[in-house]
Amino acid sequence: MNNKDKGLDDLFKKKLEDPVDQIGYKEEDWTALEKMLDQQKKRKGIIFWLPYIASVAALLLLFLGWWNFRPQVNRDNHHNKFQASNQPVKSNTGTNGGAIRQPVNPKQTQTPANAVNYAANTGVSAGRRNGKTGKSLSAAGSRRDTTGLQKNDLLNTPQMEALTATSHSQVTGPSSVGALPVSSIDIPQPAIRTTAIKTDMHLNKPKEAYRPQYAISVLAAPDINGVGSFQQGKVGTNFGLLFSAGLFKKISLSTGVLYSVKPYTESFQDYHTKYQFPVTPVNVTADCRMLDIPLNLGYELYNKHQSKITVGTGLSSYIMLHESYKFNYTDSYSYTTGPANYNVPGVNKYFFGVLNLNATYQRQLNSNVGISLQPYLKLPLTNLGYSQVRLQTTGVAIGVTWNFNSLAKH
Amino acid sequence: MGEEDLHQLIRGCIKQDRKCQKMLYKAFYGFSMGICLRYTGNRDEASEVMNQGFFKVFTHIDSYDISRPFKAWLGKIMMNVSIDFYRANLKMAYTEDLDKAENISDGDLVDKNLHYNDLLVMVQKLPQAYRTVFNLFAIEGYSHEEISSMLNINIGTSKSNLHKARQKLKRMIIEADSRVNSGNYNRGIDNNNSIVAINAINMNGVFINKGIRG
Repeated sequence: MNNKDKGLDDLFKKKLEDPVDQIGYKEEDWTALEKMLDQQKKRKGIIFWLPYIASVAALLLLFLGWWNFRPQVNRDNHHNKFQASNQPVKSNTGTNGGAIRQPVNPKQTQTPANAVNYAANTGVSAGRRNGKTGKSLSAAGSRRDTTGLQKNDLLNTPQMEALTATSHSQVTGPSSVGALPVSSIDIPQPAIRTTAIKTDMHLNKPKEAYRPQYAISVLAAPDINGVGSFQQGKVGTNFGLLFSAGLFKKISLSTGVLYSVKPYTESFQDYHTKYQFPVTPVNVTADCRMLDIPLNLGYELYNKHQSKITVGTGLSSYIMLHESYKFNYTDSYSYTTGPANYNVPGVNKYFFGVLNLNATYQRQLNSNVGISLQPYLKLPLTNLGYSQVRLQTTGVAIGVTWNFNSLAKH
Repeated sequence: MGEEDLHQLIRGCIKQDRKCQKMLYKAFYGFSMGICLRYTGNRDEASEVMNQGFFKVFTHIDSYDISRPFKAWLGKIMMNVSIDFYRANLKMAYTEDLDKAENISDGDLVDKNLHYNDLLVMVQKLPQAYRTVFNLFAIEGYSHEEISSMLNINIGTSKSNLHKARQKLKRMIIEADSRVNSGNYNRGIDNNNSIVAINAINMNGVFINKGIRG
């Protein structure tokens, strides 16, 4: 490096190195930084909550999964056991009339009518055996007779009824049992069976009611978009997929993705930008294409005869895929001086910035498929898009819903 | 600002106190902006880069070693975000027909009555590749070896860019001088510019900006 170069370098170094007094402070620079710091804080907040939200979501999924796919066999067995222990007692009291009273007053066992009834209670095998080997049974019967009667005197509890009934049947001995026709012995069998079937049906009912319903819907919706009001509204289109899960008997949660085309016209007062327009446009025509990700809760108001009415609310997030603005001027001269249009670069996201309100009428065509009609209103909670507008939307979504559960059952 | 006042502000910034952050920002605004202006093309770019720097300062201030000079730490961060800016923007670079510049007589540049703003505008007019190397070499005092690793360019490229930067600056000084003398304020558009791909060897390699070097 020669001295001349050094002279040049020194000149710049001396003047540019620490020019504190030359630079005036600008408050707007601090405002910009403050915004960055606030955003970082918000992001930090989300990051802080993310593990908790994820854990809750995971637990919810786990619970729903367990609820849906939990082993059905064990539950049925449990009920069958319950039935096995209780039902015969009940059937005894019902069909035989006075079996319960029997232990209280053992003397009644001597009447022939009761004797027949008791024999029937012992069941088929015992009866048949009695018929075949009368002698041996009579001995056993008479032997058991004393113990059975003693027990009956002492224990007057329902749990012991079955036992006492069996004992008493044997008390009557071979004379009464042996004289019975086979058909009369078989009578209790269908009675027990029917009660068993009945209770099975009865138990199935609550199981159906708590089963979570999963459904997937394909939606298409024409809608009207406007800023502030729908006076200058333009028609847009939406289509997409929704997934819904019934959380409780009447409450369902739904989410999905909808591709939305939202054209709208806004007056220039609503168009916010830092850019200084040389000529003020009359209005601005916007064309936005976005992904709408809703998260809605639905409450079932009515559900009868394959028709279902649900009201719902929730929040939507918008992911702007394309955003362009066309500026309209009063005269052709202005078109040459002012900008004609502006395309917003990149993808912008607005999380939970829109409130959804909807009502759904759903008609079930068969157990798998249903059609739905959903009038809806989307109200902005935050300013949306590059021009920071309050864009509201109303429309009717038409959908086909496919039920998962009915498939899983078959 | 006294040493104790500064430390108090830094302690406030560690607690993310917005008032302390603003006071620190205001106190070092001129110093930081002075650095960023040299590396960028205009004030808007400079304030954006400077804010990136302050953002790093405020989010990493707990890692600042209070026993070392704050200004040096801050200056280093501002320089690093400026280099980040260079790397983010530099896909194409301007090169020029330097024949005229080669013939410029060096003259006695120091004696010219040039102020901060005049010199800053000249540096800002330089193509970014030249401007960054000139800043790092002439003002920050780094060697070509250091610059080559910081910017991920060849030592030869660093030397060449510095040479071209000096030639352009010399020409601008002479032009400014003649304008002052003739009263001609025609800013003149340089039509000799042509866009070529940058001479850097490997732009994929990333100079690791540690950001918080003390």
